[in-house]
Amino acid sequence: MKHAPDLSRRRMLLGGAALGAGALLTACTSNEPDEPSGGGAQTVAAGSNGNAAPGEKVTIGFSAPAADHGWIAAITKNAKAQAGTYSDVEFKTVEAGGDAAAQRAALQTLIAQKPSIIVLLPHDGKELNAFGLEAMEAGIPVVNLDRAFPDPLAYRLQIKGDNYGMGVSAAHYIIEQMKAKNVASPVIGEIAGMDELELTQERSKGFTDTLTQAGFKVANRRAARFTADTGQQEAASLLQALPKMDALWNHDDDQGIGVLAAITQANRSEFIMVGGAGSLKAIQDIQADKSVLKATVTYSPSMASSAISLARLIAQNKGMSDLVELQVPKEIILASETITKENASNYLKLGF
Amino acid sequence: MTAQTAPAPVKEPEHSAPEKRSWWRDDASESMRRNLGLVGVLIALIVVGIITKPDLYSDGAWVRSNIFTILELASVIGVVTVGMTFVIIGGGIDLSVGAIIALAGVWSTTLATQDLGPGGMIFCALAVGIGVGVVNGILISYGRLVAFIATLAMLVAARGLAAQLSDKQTQVSNSDFINGLAANDFLGVPVLVYILAAVVAAGWVLLNRTTFGRRTVAVGGNPEAARLAGINVKRHTLLLYALSGLCCGIAAIMLTSQANSAQAAMANLYELDAIAAAIIGGTLLSGGRGTIIGSLLGVLVFSTITNLFAINNLSTEVQNMVKGGIIVAAVLVQQVQFKSLSQFFAKNNKITTS
Amino acid sequence: MTETTEDQSAEVVLRLTDVVKTFPGVRALDGVQLEVRAGEVHCLLGQNGAGKSTLIKVLAGVHRPDEGQIEWLGQDFAPANPQAAMKAGIATIYQELDLVEDLSVSENAFLGHEPRAFGFVRRGFMARHTREILGKLGHAEIPPSRLVRSLPAAGKQVVSMARALSHDARLIIMDEPSAVLAHDEVANLFRIIRGLTAQGIAVIYISHRLEEIREIGDRVTVLKDGRTTAANLPARSTPTRDLVSRMTGRTIEYVFPEPVPAVSGAEELLRVEGLTRSGEFADVSLTVHSGEIVGIAGLVGSGRSELLETIFGARRSEAGTVRMAGKVLRPGSVSAAVRAGLGMAPEERKSQALLLGEPIYRNVTLSTFSEYARAGFTNAGREIDEANRIADQLDLRPRDVRRAVRTLSGGNQQKVVVGRWLLGDTRLLLLDEPTRGVDVGARAELYQVIRDLAAQGVGVLLVSSEVPEVLGLADRVLVMREGRMVHEAPAGQIDEDTVLDLVMAGSLQVEEVTI
Ligand SMILES: Nc1ncnc2c1ncn2[C@@H]1O[C@H](COP(=O)(O)OP(=O)(O)OP(=O)(O)O)[C@@H](O)[C@H]1O
Ligand SMILES: [Mg+2]
Repeated sequence: MKHAPDLSRRRMLLGGAALGAGALLTACTSNEPDEPSGGGAQTVAAGSNGNAAPGEKVTIGFSAPAADHGWIAAITKNAKAQAGTYSDVEFKTVEAGGDAAAQRAALQTLIAQKPSIIVLLPHDGKELNAFGLEAMEAGIPVVNLDRAFPDPLAYRLQIKGDNYGMGVSAAHYIIEQMKAKNVASPVIGEIAGMDELELTQERSKGFTDTLTQAGFKVANRRAARFTADTGQQEAASLLQALPKMDALWNHDDDQGIGVLAAITQANRSEFIMVGGAGSLKAIQDIQADKSVLKATVTYSPSMASSAISLARLIAQNKGMSDLVELQVPKEIILASETITKENASNYLKLGF
Repeated sequence: MTAQTAPAPVKEPEHSAPEKRSWWRDDASESMRRNLGLVGVLIALIVVGIITKPDLYSDGAWVRSNIFTILELASVIGVVTVGMTFVIIGGGIDLSVGAIIALAGVWSTTLATQDLGPGGMIFCALAVGIGVGVVNGILISYGRLVAFIATLAMLVAARGLAAQLSDKQTQVSNSDFINGLAANDFLGVPVLVYILAAVVAAGWVLLNRTTFGRRTVAVGGNPEAARLAGINVKRHTLLLYALSGLCCGIAAIMLTSQANSAQAAMANLYELDAIAAAIIGGTLLSGGRGTIIGSLLGVLVFSTITNLFAINNLSTEVQNMVKGGIIVAAVLVQQVQFKSLSQFFAKNNKITTS
Repeated sequence: MTETTEDQSAEVVLRLTDVVKTFPGVRALDGVQLEVRAGEVHCLLGQNGAGKSTLIKVLAGVHRPDEGQIEWLGQDFAPANPQAAMKAGIATIYQELDLVEDLSVSENAFLGHEPRAFGFVRRGFMARHTREILGKLGHAEIPPSRLVRSLPAAGKQVVSMARALSHDARLIIMDEPSAVLAHDEVANLFRIIRGLTAQGIAVIYISHRLEEIREIGDRVTVLKDGRTTAANLPARSTPTRDLVSRMTGRTIEYVFPEPVPAVSGAEELLRVEGLTRSGEFADVSLTVHSGEIVGIAGLVGSGRSELLETIFGARRSEAGTVRMAGKVLRPGSVSAAVRAGLGMAPEERKSQALLLGEPIYRNVTLSTFSEYARAGFTNAGREIDEANRIADQLDLRPRDVRRAVRTLSGGNQQKVVVGRWLLGDTRLLLLDEPTRGVDVGARAELYQVIRDLAAQGVGVLLVSSEVPEVLGLADRVLVMREGRMVHEAPAGQIDEDTVLDLVMAGSLQVEEVTI
């Protein structure tokens, strides 16, 4: 179809406007902060013990899901940064794609590059168990991060957080606070993460088990999806369902941004809130003590930094210098710590 | 004409000629009956709420705030559904709405954009929404891609770009103005509810009172007839996707303000919610028929169900199962209701005329 | 209007010289000449597929010609799109109804050129205008705000007409407008056309019914295979034989096949008793015997099509029974009807009967292809063979059964629909307007085919708006009015005038003959 001539001027104007908007938009994609702020990667300071001295050159292969969640992003970032502190480590990372199958394919290309050791946060421990076995058989040790392989032969080292323990810690803190305030039968709310994940179930179980021991129970539980917008929606519903509440545990600090927004929007402040995972923003909020968020229980992505350190030791055939054993242990479960206003400053550097 | 055109300024002649032949039978009020069916479903849901939680429903202030909670919960999806309704009536489908919201939300909360202040953020969200919509439209009308495929591809691509821009992080919005949209009231009614009302009203006027809207029905209902009538079907289709993109841009601001943040995974599966709401509201998936009011009611049914389950502390699994059931039930109820009513009228008619 | 409309001095408004239009594989227009004068009714005649619709689509700006000149009001004319043609004063009523079901009557009438202010439709203005036009068309009873979806075919035709009149046109093109109209509606249409020509508006009129052309036309141009074979013949005085031979290249007498004397005591195939659907028809009873052709005459809207669809199970009856060879059919079940040996060629071929994008042969074998299939695999070769047989029988053009049905001319699409039921072992055929849009030659062949089927023992129940067709083809005639059977007679014992009197409401004799 031909353009009518009288339209061409309008089109040019429109086109110009579109171009201008486009230029403005592209300028808007930057995320570089104006001034440097906290939130850098967590690394173990090198040079603090004998193992830090450069040793045999090793290649560490690394893979984590291409997730869109802050916690997993922090895992990758930490791993990379920790590897960067060692002069004897070559770090090879592969994007794991959107699901277990994609990750399996990505790992195959990693194996082909013959790394000394592989550090791996699987999409799903069960689905990638076979890969662990295969790599171990081929003589490449596997360090499993966070999502356990069911088969003990499939990994050399497993390092993970304590989901059940998170629930326990959150419940302990709430029980303690309620006792201090003399609330006999508190109304307790819970905002979980993605309900179909095992880790969510474990967290909730630890939480309710511990509460039950103290004679408390969860009055209402909503499951969000680890994102701020779902956190906000579920929190808004929960607040509506419980016009008066004494305590609230939110499993995840990333979705907690939305939960806190919902609380502000509903003008509520009569309860205390406990977070989960330990994001930098949550720790800062706790330290500032201006919101209902009084504590968070950790599930720190700093485990990725530790995993890289230990992987290096395994590959170099060294043990942990503080232990008598000559080899790195097979399983490490990180304790879930409780961050409150009092100790927040210690944790700032671990926040993601 | 749709049911909402009842208060038309045109006065029909009073006599309307005693039906000359049986073939001028009225079904113009079909969508009205449909909508009444949906209102019935809404009332039923609320009654269930009253029965199960009499303690909460006995408190007037709580009921009021609950209504606003439901409306706020419906506001974002509602705005998206208005755009979706236009696209579906126009014979298309837009699977990328959730992804456009994520992209627009992320784009407007980058540190660089936030430096421009709330005006810049709003501009960014709207421009990104419209821009992506226009790309969809070009691919579909001039590139001759099937809408399903084009927008599916856009879904993947836009979320990918959003993840890239945000580096997979949750981007917190520091704008008090934006965050205040969700937190503040005006004359006792939340600002988001005003936005929803404004978009719905604009959508209704656009569909029922403007040439653009009436041509949308033509393009979706009978594209060949629209072409023969001299309508530029391709350009119209393009504009429909741009409109859907614009609605997504508005929704992105609303969602960002609700969550005080944006991230690549936000607005997950909103496309399905919006499509389901439109269908429940009587929009024909094959195009050519649909109402804005019906779509709004569809969205409200959804958010009322969610609210009902929340105040009763029912688990997500049960909620999802029942939600599926209620979708089917709502559609069935409307059909049965529609059929039996029209039969009833027909019979009545016969008795009075013979 | 006076008898002498042959005003040779009237200005020529439209002149086409050597216009050519090709589609992939077909030369639809192959050098067309046409000359139309102001204030005349210029008829276009031609067989199915001759290129009539293509020609008017070229004029309406839908297709662009490959070669040739078009001169409109003394100037070169090449409309880039339908809008340009409308702006230039050419309005078109297309052969296939081109309405939007979910828009109102007035919105359809003004589609694409809505009166508006700042993008808002001026609804009051539009409704007023539509009411005016409908009044002119003699259909003031149709409310402008009514959804077109709720109108029957004839009402839709009125809306199409209203759309053409909503333009300020100097030329109105009508592609088979009478095909869906009942007898009294056609008279009304002619009254309107005379009103238009009196204002100096030119009309191009396409129809396969020669008697209409004789009545309304001034001059005739005949097309054959995309070429003008005769131009500007006087519509009233040119002998039929001439017209037909120029259209077809042979001579066909426009006649019905000899009825075969009914075999007495033939098996009763169909028995319908007390069939009722409220608002459509009530208490209808009829029978059809093996080898018998039963015709139903009645106005459009008298419930004939609904009755056929209900017998076929496409609509569910509210009361009454349908028996096929003594066995009661489950109401509302098409598959039960087809299993019992019923076949139906519906009225609205595009929406009800054809898969437009599929090749002809798949459409022809749609209800029988599973019989040729082996172990679930279809047998395309066999399907094509069968379709070829049917295509020969019905003189389908072009004769390539692998073409998509969409690319066929209107009349040829109709042949595909009817052809489907000539396959397989249909024992009773329901035909709803089987010859709508079918040209003279093919029509005679179609009649012969129907007669042959009857001779093989198939029962036929036929609905047609053309009374001569019912009288000429059927053995027995039923007359339907406002949803009721009002008369029944053997074909030889009733004439056209009686039938017309019977179908019109308000006639005195009607009360007496009501059964
Ligand atoms: N879009 C198309 N693509 C391919 N071929 C086409 C197309 N439209 C028409 N044709 C072919 O062009 C020829 C002329 O068709 P047209 O519709 O003009 O016939 P017609 O004279 O109007 O016939 P009828 O009386 O049956 O309506 C036919 O052979 C038809 O198959
Ligand atoms: Mg034609």
